Amino acid sequence: MMKKMLSLALAFAMAATLTACGSKAPEATKAPADTKAAGSSAEATTGAGAAGTAAKDVQKIIDRGVLKVGCKSDIPKFSLQNTATGQYEGFEDDLAYEIAGSIFGCSAAEAKEKKLVEFQGVTAKTRGPLLENGEIDLVIATFTITPERKETYNFSTPYYTDAVGLLVNKDSGIKSIEDLDGKVIGVAQSSTTKDGFKKYVDEKGLKVNPQFQEFDGYPALAQALATKQIDCFSVDRAILAGYVNDGNLILEDRFAEQDYGVAAAKENTGLAEAVEKKVTSMLSDGSMKKLQDQWGLQ
Amino acid sequence: MIKGLFDGKRWSALFAAFPEYYIPGFLMTLKISLVGLAVALVLGVIFGMFSSSKWKLLKIISRIYVEFIQNTPLALQVMCYYSVLPMLFSSSGFRIPKFVLGVIGVGVYHGAYISEVIRTGIEAVPKGQSEAAASQGFSYLETMYHIILPQTIKIIMPPLANQALNLVKNTSILAMVAGMDLMYFTDSWGADRGYFAQAYFTSAVMYFIICFPLARLARYLEIRSMRLPVAKKLDIQADEEAV
Repeated sequence: MMKKMLSLALAFAMAATLTACGSKAPEATKAPADTKAAGSSAEATTGAGAAGTAAKDVQKIIDRGVLKVGCKSDIPKFSLQNTATGQYEGFEDDLAYEIAGSIFGCSAAEAKEKKLVEFQGVTAKTRGPLLENGEIDLVIATFTITPERKETYNFSTPYYTDAVGLLVNKDSGIKSIEDLDGKVIGVAQSSTTKDGFKKYVDEKGLKVNPQFQEFDGYPALAQALATKQIDCFSVDRAILAGYVNDGNLILEDRFAEQDYGVAAAKENTGLAEAVEKKVTSMLSDGSMKKLQDQWGLQ
Repeated sequence: MIKGLFDGKRWSALFAAFPEYYIPGFLMTLKISLVGLAVALVLGVIFGMFSSSKWKLLKIISRIYVEFIQNTPLALQVMCYYSVLPMLFSSSGFRIPKFVLGVIGVGVYHGAYISEVIRTGIEAVPKGQSEAAASQGFSYLETMYHIILPQTIKIIMPPLANQALNLVKNTSILAMVAGMDLMYFTDSWGADRGYFAQAYFTSAVMYFIICFPLARLARYLEIRSMRLPVAKKLDIQADEEAV
């Protein structure tokens, strides 16, 4: 009896999977075509890069009709994805629209309206590979310019200068950077915080020797601080501002002034040139400052 | 093609960073794997015996453990050990060492799986075997030791090796909580320099170095256990002469 019921159940399960396959078939046949198209366009961009001609990579973007930009999705004021609408909102996103406007030959407002920018949320860890394999054209994601990174990517002139801050729990009793000796400082992967901290401490002649632990993403860091697994959460102040609450505070100390730049892949020299032109013109005519004021950034 | 995979400059940067990043990471992963495997085996044998024992209470305890661990993701469990477990000890500042965290994480997780492997192994031995042993006057433990377990080992060796290999690979989950293991240092260096192809390729090779010998060992043990049992040579002649 038991066996019979089991075999019956099995038969039903198989029938169900069969029908499921049947209903899915049209989608399945459609999918390869899509991926093929995506694949060929990716190939095309890399092909243009290899050729090395200046305007070709920009032309590619114009032909495609959309500029793909990697932005952070979790930093208030800089680039925050609106959970209700799915839109990216912030200073860096507006900068992306400005750049798109200059590439497609229209204003930033028009670029925004026509959806000429396709945003993709990136993290400190994913932005590099995404840029290198051509998934995105530009990274505008609080990307600090360093000499090592300049070897790998094309950076524009800095569009914003930020400093690193220290976020600690109020009940930890940590009042200044000197109290951090022997404590655990959480930093983000691929951030320059660690070197900046050491340099700052050396310059001030302090004897502070904390332990550093790296985390993948800021929410993980905030959570580790909240559960007291780390004593201090140290990243760029722009990012820290989004994680201040009743239980923690940002220390006075600021160090490692760092410049954010727009990054393009190394071989996309034409695109990098176009970006550079736009950023420098925005800096010189004061529109960059205006945009920062608009988002409440000092 | 992955860009920059054969770029000499990137590889030399990797070799420069090797002692600082990959060696400590590799050792940590190796240590966690070995101790974690020991913990998992002990837990697995204990709970595997529990679930095939006669007492209902032990069975229930074992069931709860296995079902709970099997049906929740390892990432969540490690996160829980990392941030919630310390609060049981004190509300401020207690931290579990990363090594212990790793051993508990993979040990408890794979202990549940191994306990299932052992339970099914024991149950796969025909009931007639233990009945025959009982008829010959073997006690429960004697039956287990002489009759059931030797036959069980043959059956469980392949899935057990599977668990051991998965355990090694699952230690990489620690990178999520800054576990100082191989994956953590790989992420750290890779993200730092942007040379991802080199970073992850090297990491894969190092995991392979740990896993491959383990897989070969398991295969060897499997083949060895499949050999037909040979009766022990008893010194019958001496007995006869004495008679």
